[in-house]
Amino acid sequence: MAAPRLNPLTLLAAAAAVLVITTAASSWAFSLTVAAGAVALSAANGCARRVLLAGTAILAPFWLSLLVMHGLFYPEGRTVLVHWGPARVTAEGLGFALDMGLRTSAFVLVLMLFSFSIRVPDLVAALATLRLPPQFGYVLASTLMLAPIIAARLGKVRQAQEARGLVVGKGIRSRLGAVRLQMIPLVLGLVHDAGTRAQALDARGFGRPGPRTTYRKVNDSHAQRGFRVVALLLAAVAVVLRIAASYLTGGPA
Amino acid sequence: MSGQETARATLQAAIDSFAFHGDSAPALRGVQVEAVPGSLTAVLGGSGSGKSTLGRLLGAWLEGGRDGTLKGTLQLYVGDNTDESRPLVYSGADDDPRIDAAAWADHVGYVPQDAAAMLSAVRGTVEEELAFGLENRGTARADMVRIVAETAHRTGLTGLLERDPATLSGGELRRLALGCAIVADPGILILDEPLASLDDAGARALTGLVKAQLARGTAVVVLSQHADSLTRTASQWIVLKGGAVTAAGRPDRLLAGDSLADAGVVVSGLPGQRSLQAQPRLSPVPAAAPALELDGVSFGYHAGGPGSSLLLDNADLSVRPGEIVAVTGPNGAGKSTLLRLFNGLLRPLRGEVRVDGKAISGVPTGIVAERLGLLFQHPHDQLFERTVQREVSFGLERLFGDGAQARAEAALASVGLDGDGGVHPHELSGSGQRLLALATVLAREPAVLALDEPTVALDAHGLQRLTAAISAAAGRGAAVVLVTHDLAFARAHAHRTVKLSGGVLAGS
Repeated sequence: MAAPRLNPLTLLAAAAAVLVITTAASSWAFSLTVAAGAVALSAANGCARRVLLAGTAILAPFWLSLLVMHGLFYPEGRTVLVHWGPARVTAEGLGFALDMGLRTSAFVLVLMLFSFSIRVPDLVAALATLRLPPQFGYVLASTLMLAPIIAARLGKVRQAQEARGLVVGKGIRSRLGAVRLQMIPLVLGLVHDAGTRAQALDARGFGRPGPRTTYRKVNDSHAQRGFRVVALLLAAVAVVLRIAASYLTGGPA
Repeated sequence: MSGQETARATLQAAIDSFAFHGDSAPALRGVQVEAVPGSLTAVLGGSGSGKSTLGRLLGAWLEGGRDGTLKGTLQLYVGDNTDESRPLVYSGADDDPRIDAAAWADHVGYVPQDAAAMLSAVRGTVEEELAFGLENRGTARADMVRIVAETAHRTGLTGLLERDPATLSGGELRRLALGCAIVADPGILILDEPLASLDDAGARALTGLVKAQLARGTAVVVLSQHADSLTRTASQWIVLKGGAVTAAGRPDRLLAGDSLADAGVVVSGLPGQRSLQAQPRLSPVPAAAPALELDGVSFGYHAGGPGSSLLLDNADLSVRPGEIVAVTGPNGAGKSTLLRLFNGLLRPLRGEVRVDGKAISGVPTGIVAERLGLLFQHPHDQLFERTVQREVSFGLERLFGDGAQARAEAALASVGLDGDGGVHPHELSGSGQRLLALATVLAREPAVLALDEPTVALDAHGLQRLTAAISAAAGRGAAVVLVTHDLAFARAHAHRTVKLSGGVLAGS
């Protein structure tokens, strides 16, 4: 994998710039290119499966609602392709849905690619070099790592209950019943863990004022720093061009 | 952490009393401890004697005022200059001194019984976790790299630096927690049950580490309910019972008296010493059909993946009703995995598991649980209810109907927790939690009992309850499989022992 060699801030800057430029470009062809590019990069990176799975879970309902809303009920639609009573499928509506859908797909896929390409501790270490308060990094890291911790804890509670006779059936009722049984032990367990962790963090100097250092050396280079500046400049230029274009054409395009 | 010697420090604690907020009775009273450079002091006592409370007070994980009412003094001398150090005097009043936990930890390192509680949980590798305390101190990176390497060398973690802490074994985790405490090179080290649940190799490694710290001039205080190979090398023993000191002095003198037995301290581990009394064992039913059978069972995690190997390779095991079988083997051999295969929490890749004559393939764990009770290795993983009573009653009604209440009460009585029905399981001592977990298994009266490290965390009184419960279960015809690293216990209580090592289950 090539990506972990890059500084997480470089990846963050690249992702942010691509998203800003995609928005400013406001073109379905551009959005499609970006989305396809994100998928291609994730394939090269070995995380295509996860990116596509997570992306589909988010985007499928979104695309469906877009097509229903704008495909059938686009108020400014003139070119009617088919119609049933008040519902009219218009070319303009489909075009709008396609444009919005592709732009959002580009957003989601780029963000998924970013989040699956970095290691959380790397991002926290990189953010520390920006002189953000360490508590910010800790909260960010523990939030990003919370899902696996909750999943592990939930698995333990479920095993303990099954070992004492809980049978989780395949039906939705049985599953919901099991979730209800597991919620209180899960939350109480997490709160208990957090209490002990606070004492350990205190003793290990987490509450200390004063400067900190970071052990994890995050790769960085002049080239990467230069790239980040250029990426952010390009994003800014795209925004300026977009505003200028709307101004010249006398309104939003 | 430069040079061979640590900054010498002495800690003197005189605790007149300490009571948690909301408790009427003090958890500690009249306890005095002095830790001097290069000396090992052992605080021994049964479960609930106040050892851990004392350790956490010494390590400033508990603080007078914030966590309870403390009366007494704490005095820390650092280096040879003893004049400048002023004692912290607590009178239980609002203006009592406050301790800066981080500054205190520079001189007094504390490692809790649950090693995982020491970790930050946001660092991805062992080396980053070791460096966490140094980062917070603002240590220059070059120094950090050197100190982390040195600490890893001393704790035997050098080969594990890139590992995710969540994947470490119990022994490795204990060494990492100790490493996190000694990166700042404190002059005083407080260790709560450092050898609990370690196999022979793990215990030897940790004992060696403590000896190396002593040689560097560190003052070490070990809190334990075992008079074991480590605590026997102490120069001073302090025996606690009910929060008060019942005896103190040299080990040889105290070993000759009966204060240890009275306090519930487990005295074992060395040949020629008093050991666990073997219980009279009934013979298993010879002609009966096996209560538990493993037939050519193979299992491995991530099987088929690169570098995967089988934890269990074509294993056979047959346990008859009334038979007690001990499974031994090194940490990480897959003993806990073996027990999870018995009730279907894990499913074999090949082979068949039969409980009470019926194959469990395709049967949900919750149904197998009617015939097989599993005691998990960590009570923390087994206990999930709000009160002791609810905990032991979980799922009983479906099994016994109206008789559930009586079964629950009988199970609690058999482990000596009948007076604690309204208590939250987390508020019980380590031994109490383990016994409660055992009661949840006993209450179901299963045909097979699978017990994972049942002796860990039990004091002498708890061990008596455990052995009585195992004998009673075998006496009524239950098959018992117990996984343990305590060979003396296995020899004293099992009909036979099998060893799991390198994926092979070998009988003896």
